Amino acid sequence: MNREEKETRFIERIKAGMKIEATDWMPDTYRKLLLKLIHMHGISEIMGALPEKEWVPKAPTLKRKLAIMAKVQDEMGHGQLLLRVAEDLAEPFGRTREDLVADVIHGRVKFHNVFHMEAPTWADAGVIGWLVDGAAIINQAALLHTSYGPYARVLKRICAEESFHMQHGESIILALAGGTDAQRKMLQDSLNRWWESLLFFFGPMEVTESAQQMIDYGIRTKTNEELRQQFFSKYVPRIRSLGLTIPDPNLSYNETTKRWSWTLPDWEKFRKIVRDNQGPKSQERLNLRRFAHEEQAWVREAMIRSRLKGSVVV
Amino acid sequence: MGSGGNDPFTPEGFGGCVKGGEGMSEGNVQEGFGVFEVFVQKTQADFHTHVGSVVAPSPDVALMNARENFLRRDLGVNLWVVPRQCVTATPYDSEGDWFAREFDRKYREAGGYPENGRLWKMYKEKVLQLEEIVEDLHGKGDKNNESASS
Repeated sequence: MNREEKETRFIERIKAGMKIEATDWMPDTYRKLLLKLIHMHGISEIMGALPEKEWVPKAPTLKRKLAIMAKVQDEMGHGQLLLRVAEDLAEPFGRTREDLVADVIHGRVKFHNVFHMEAPTWADAGVIGWLVDGAAIINQAALLHTSYGPYARVLKRICAEESFHMQHGESIILALAGGTDAQRKMLQDSLNRWWESLLFFFGPMEVTESAQQMIDYGIRTKTNEELRQQFFSKYVPRIRSLGLTIPDPNLSYNETTKRWSWTLPDWEKFRKIVRDNQGPKSQERLNLRRFAHEEQAWVREAMIRSRLKGSVVV
Repeated sequence: MGSGGNDPFTPEGFGGCVKGGEGMSEGNVQEGFGVFEVFVQKTQADFHTHVGSVVAPSPDVALMNARENFLRRDLGVNLWVVPRQCVTATPYDSEGDWFAREFDRKYREAGGYPENGRLWKMYKEKVLQLEEIVEDLHGKGDKNNESASS
């Protein structure tokens, strides 16, 4: 088969709902789009553990501490599963786990806007679990039907664990919503802080060229706006039921078009945060990531040396 | 957990496994690290099941990574890690389908004999199912019989 026939066969398989595997032939564009998506997804899981990790020592009870620790561990675990998938895609480019991990330190891969933001109160720990994870779950659940088999399989495991994250976040915010005036205010302030970031998280309204390509290749099946609309439908009624006010006076549901209208966030402000790592916590968290990676380099080397010498590492 | 002095993992070839078996890539081995496929045995009534893979510098560390990655909630009684190069696999997409089914294979399956029920009715009796025998012997929902009765 020549290149063109291979490409035609490839598209036919995707149209027939078949999955593509790491060992299959795939067009370069497909490989690059997937790699970019999964690399960013994996790195975002790891960076996403950092705002929550800040709350491990400060969690109000032992039970809360154990639960948020479990969540931090899950995020790191998800990062590892996703980087495993990314590595196999990166192999023809001669890139390894070490490169993919180091990329974020050198600004060669971006991570989601929400993980550049501050989490100053316990309500933020709750809102991250409830709404940030809620938004991420909608994104990830939509990707369950992706055409790339290894990604789909890993997402299945990730989504199963996210169902715990949903309950965990809801448990924290429900406790605050039923608490004192100060706790309810803390929750409202946190919602105000996160709302715009949450909307930006789903990406721009327009279907960009690469987003369209991902849809054509079956990597994604839904547009950014479709997912954002689903987020509104699932979460707006619940947010309001708690007596919280959503900080967007223009947010409304049109019964005829069955769509939500909303105020566009300042796209440029958020783009800058993600592109240039210029968010309130970007540099601090990147420094922590760099510190962890570089300070533990000797452990990674020692494990290899000890194996080469035939001793047992445990 | 350690495999003593018989550590089969060598830098030359992951325990002498033939590199790059049919349908498998060489497996993204970064300097000194290797890819290990992970198999979890949930209970001793189950076979080991493939759940994914980890990157590790040795089989021992691969076992620990596997436990951290795949058994944070799920229970298990045993783990296997296998250097990816040691797996020989069929191709997914090739000329001549490995899994081609030219014939209707209903005759191999319990569900391939639907007329039995109707015939038994003539004798005022019912089809006998394996599940019924297992249930009589071991009760409903016995873990050891899940595969036998499904």
